Amino acid sequence: MNAFKRMIWAGSLLAGGVLAAGGASAGEFDGVTINIMTFTGPQIAEPMQRRAPDFEKLTGAKVNIITVPFSDLYQKLLTDWAGGTNSIDAGVFAPQWMVDYVTPGLLEDISDRLANDKQAAQDDVAPFFREFSQKFNGKTYMITLDGDFQMVYYRTDVAEKLGKKPPKTLDDYLDFAKAANGQDWNGDGKPDYGSCISKKRNAQAYWAIISIAGGLIQTQGTSQGVFFDTKDMKPLVNNEAFATALKFYKDSTQYAPPDEINLDVGDTRKLFTSGQCALTLDWGDIGTLAIDPKESTVQDKVGAVVLPGSSKVLDRATGKLVACDAKTCPYAVDGVNHAPFAAFGGWSGGINAKADPKVKDAAYAFFSFMTGPKQSNEDVTIGRTGFNPYRLSQFQDMTLWKKAGMSEKAAKSYLGAIQDSLNSPNMVLDLRIPQNQKYEQVILDTAVARFLAGELSAEDTMKSIEDGWNETTDEIGRDEQLAAYKSTLGAQ
Amino acid sequence: MRASFSAWSERQADRLFVLPAVVVILAFSIFPLLLSAYLSVSRFKLAAGGYEFKFIGWLNYKKLLFGSEQFHFVGRFASVPLWCWAALALLLYWVGRALLLYLRSGHTSVLGLVGRLISAVTILGIAFLFATTLGQGGQLGSAGVTILYVVVGVAIQFAIGLGLALLCAQRIHGRAFFRLVFFLPLMVTPVGIAYAFRMLADMTQGPLSPIWHGLGLGAFSWASGAWSARIVVMVGDAWQWIPFIFIVMLAAIESQSKEQLEAASIDGASFWQRFRDITWPEIAPVAATVILIRMIEAFKIIDLPNILTNGGPGIATESMTLHSFIAWRTLDLGGSSAVAYMLLFLSTVFSVSFFNLIILPMRARRQ
Amino acid sequence: MTIAIPATQAVARRKLGAMSPGTAIVVYTLLALWTLIVLFPLYWVAITSLKEPIDVSTGPYYLPFVDFQPSLHAWRYIFVDLANDTFRPYMNSVIVAFISTTLAMLAGSMAAYALARFTYKPKIGIILLFILLVALVVAAVMHWSVDWRIASASGLALFFLIGRAVAGRLRRSVGNSDILFWMISQRILPPVVAAIPIYVMFQRLGMLDTHPALILTYMTVNLPIVVWLMYDFFVGIPKDLEESAQLDGAGRFRIFFGIVLPLSKAGLAATSLLVLIMAWNEYLLALFLSTAHAQTIPLLVAAQNATRGPQWWYMSVLIIIMILPVMALALALQRFIASGLLLGAVKG
Repeated sequence: MNAFKRMIWAGSLLAGGVLAAGGASAGEFDGVTINIMTFTGPQIAEPMQRRAPDFEKLTGAKVNIITVPFSDLYQKLLTDWAGGTNSIDAGVFAPQWMVDYVTPGLLEDISDRLANDKQAAQDDVAPFFREFSQKFNGKTYMITLDGDFQMVYYRTDVAEKLGKKPPKTLDDYLDFAKAANGQDWNGDGKPDYGSCISKKRNAQAYWAIISIAGGLIQTQGTSQGVFFDTKDMKPLVNNEAFATALKFYKDSTQYAPPDEINLDVGDTRKLFTSGQCALTLDWGDIGTLAIDPKESTVQDKVGAVVLPGSSKVLDRATGKLVACDAKTCPYAVDGVNHAPFAAFGGWSGGINAKADPKVKDAAYAFFSFMTGPKQSNEDVTIGRTGFNPYRLSQFQDMTLWKKAGMSEKAAKSYLGAIQDSLNSPNMVLDLRIPQNQKYEQVILDTAVARFLAGELSAEDTMKSIEDGWNETTDEIGRDEQLAAYKSTLGAQ
Repeated sequence: MRASFSAWSERQADRLFVLPAVVVILAFSIFPLLLSAYLSVSRFKLAAGGYEFKFIGWLNYKKLLFGSEQFHFVGRFASVPLWCWAALALLLYWVGRALLLYLRSGHTSVLGLVGRLISAVTILGIAFLFATTLGQGGQLGSAGVTILYVVVGVAIQFAIGLGLALLCAQRIHGRAFFRLVFFLPLMVTPVGIAYAFRMLADMTQGPLSPIWHGLGLGAFSWASGAWSARIVVMVGDAWQWIPFIFIVMLAAIESQSKEQLEAASIDGASFWQRFRDITWPEIAPVAATVILIRMIEAFKIIDLPNILTNGGPGIATESMTLHSFIAWRTLDLGGSSAVAYMLLFLSTVFSVSFFNLIILPMRARRQ
Repeated sequence: MTIAIPATQAVARRKLGAMSPGTAIVVYTLLALWTLIVLFPLYWVAITSLKEPIDVSTGPYYLPFVDFQPSLHAWRYIFVDLANDTFRPYMNSVIVAFISTTLAMLAGSMAAYALARFTYKPKIGIILLFILLVALVVAAVMHWSVDWRIASASGLALFFLIGRAVAGRLRRSVGNSDILFWMISQRILPPVVAAIPIYVMFQRLGMLDTHPALILTYMTVNLPIVVWLMYDFFVGIPKDLEESAQLDGAGRFRIFFGIVLPLSKAGLAATSLLVLIMAWNEYLLALFLSTAHAQTIPLLVAAQNATRGPQWWYMSVLIIIMILPVMALALALQRFIASGLLLGAVKG
């Protein structure tokens, strides 16, 4: 009786257009519970929590979303799986960490399932995510649910009033920030800030510094890499280019809220959407958060551009900056070298290889359901989901965005910036070698935090990152790391 | 059968009574101590099919004390001003004299001497640490920051806690009310306190922001200054733990004999004289023990710096437990255990020295 | 509630405490100031739980209804929208805190009583042998990758085999005060030192992320406090009652549970409140030992710091529902806390 009812239910849902997921049929996963871990929402967790009841109605599988603070996610999930506890059946985390999960055999290979899955509509997923982000050593282990690029957002109304163009270079950015700082831009009678960049330690600040340094360091296309020299694994952090990036990072603090050093992206997003900042550097989230009437006072006043670049770039042989020309910056636009940073790589779902087979199927079906165009196209337009566009159709179909409350102009600016990043031949890939957490979240993050706090000079900061990275590389094995680095970049 | 069991359990009663406690403590202290010791001399690595530990000797410690993590643990050295050298010399003289006095005292034992030597070296080491890292261009590492939280933090908590106890011991109305209210902060989870103080300390939207603006500090943020951030951490810790000191000290003051106080009062002794000559000598041993308990707990601080600042700005508020925890987050189990072991060493030396050199003599003097 | 003060003492106090009006003003001002310092953060948490996000980000607003319109949205979110995701950790906390407190009280007061009444003389040789063997087992498992079951079993067997022989050779023994000191000194051990090994231990036993793992850990961590406080309490109880019961043929267990414990109600109440607060608020070990099933409420509070900025309003609700039960208990047991029990232990 019960099963019959559910079939009718599912049937009516199908008729109503809420599509069945991943080929799963009604009641297929009756009694199955999937524990999925991700970081504390509401972002990322929210859409899954919201859609879990629909999924249960469709397939019978119950979905539990377990959340931990972002900084604990990598380790919690890894120790649960590597330690054999296996409380968690699947995780939604950074594809960048995949290497540490795949090497010990903790992640389920989903190449075959995905290849035969019509619901997941992989042809529609931007090639970067489909071919690179989801894969490791040619096999697919994760399903992208979110597209991630860092970009610069500016207030269009502020730009107009100041007569400034959207920033193309780092200098433009500072110039804009300086002009905008100290004036009241949201009409609350208090002076607002020129720039808000999340600089808190043990948060997301280490991606920002790479976003800034990228355009100075990487010029010859994606496979050149921004972290290490592909010849000998020498860190590219002790040179004039990185020094320039650090200087920019510190200079931008002058036009920022006094406690910028203690702000994580949550705080800066709130500042920007409440109209207190003229500029920010962030992932795609700002675009959709800015149209949420509950949170935002800057609807339709937000423009987005690809990360600012530089007309002087690093000469790797000498460690000095040289001017851009056809040889040094083959991909330059108007003499400015841009290197958009695919920071983090987009929240993606991966399945515990040691989970119960039935649960694995159910977890896969759930991710397939979440990534399906029907669900995804709606979620990427909602700010609080934390999901950003990653499907080709999401860039083309303007009706989606208009329906969500974006003006045509804002949508074009937002999607244009993401597409420019996505299509750039000089895109910067995030670090994906073993223990990249230690390189980025510990060594880089600590050194930059100390630099901002005035504990270290720029030279000492660079030295400290270089030494730390070298030491870690030697501990793990230099050849091993070099090979891993080259293979993630596709470098020869 | 039943009878024989109860007879057996009766015969073994003395063992059975301590057995549960001894077994769990053994399982959760001896074993973890030894395992931690092993982890601290090894390197954890994920490998095909799981993970492996590689023995690397004392490399993890070397890194902390002399290598790439030195800045993080010990701090960064600065030039030491002359007066610091003088103070150090004075301390050295004082410690040396105390040791000499002990040697001449006639009841010297090997164990006592070794213990005192360890205490002396640790005290001098810490003094040297502060002298070298607090100067211009220097910086405290997580060890220094932890000791700061312990010594300065507990001193402040004790002073305020005792003060409140003295106030409450006066003949006042509503004592029960104050006693209950003052006890409240102890019940709040430290994580909650950390968040509450982040809200309170917010200089632009917090409740005190009009005051900051009034003082012209609107453009200043406590979170960006090393010392202001440390102070906020210590304020939060004090808010939680003053009640503990308060409640014990109040009980101590109330339980002292009243006749002497009364006599002194009739003789016209001032409040301060009565406190110094009568109350303090009587409550001093209790005070010392309360301080010891607080010190032991203060060494474990993590929640507050972790939530208030994530250890920042830079590494200014990072305690040793947080340092160890951050290493664990990236699965650097060896480094994490090494920091933890250093913490164990420090807190043991502190507590045992305090107990042997301050509390025991105090008790001996009373008897 | 009133505090019973013996008449003579009360008289003495009156004479003593005759404050001049000036002093009285200073004293009451200071007391009022500290009351404000204690209550204001709690008040701020309480009103924040009633604020809309916009009231927080454009604040500060101090008075509900006067300068902002209170809303129950955060309470609704925690109790209705999150419902299970709140109640599960909450129940976990309740289960873990109460059971671990009960067990710690039981094991701790038994040990404390035994140390106060019996004489123990464990041989130093045995103790050293035990530590050595544990070290060997650890080394065997970690370094030479011996299966932990085999290693522990052989360690245990060896211990019983050569235990007697070693004890015969090293005859010196330790006494009750040493055992007491050893138990109390466990409190010095920073949790972070034990956390990873305990993690590994429960992982090997397949007990990670379960209630028993947390219960056992909290029980051990808090045991030293119980032993310490209760020891002094038991020492203070006259032996006559127990001796006469013994003459009547009552066994040790019956004496302990039937006579001694009921006599120690005050001590038990105050100690268990203290231990309960510790277990209820614990964060670090829970962070290590739980993931999905056994997650406790402090973890949930900590987790409210999201990438959209800390969710102050949700956090405040959680903090309030965390404080309330402990506060109710403390109110009920307030008499005992004030009874100077802690003092007895601290005086040592």
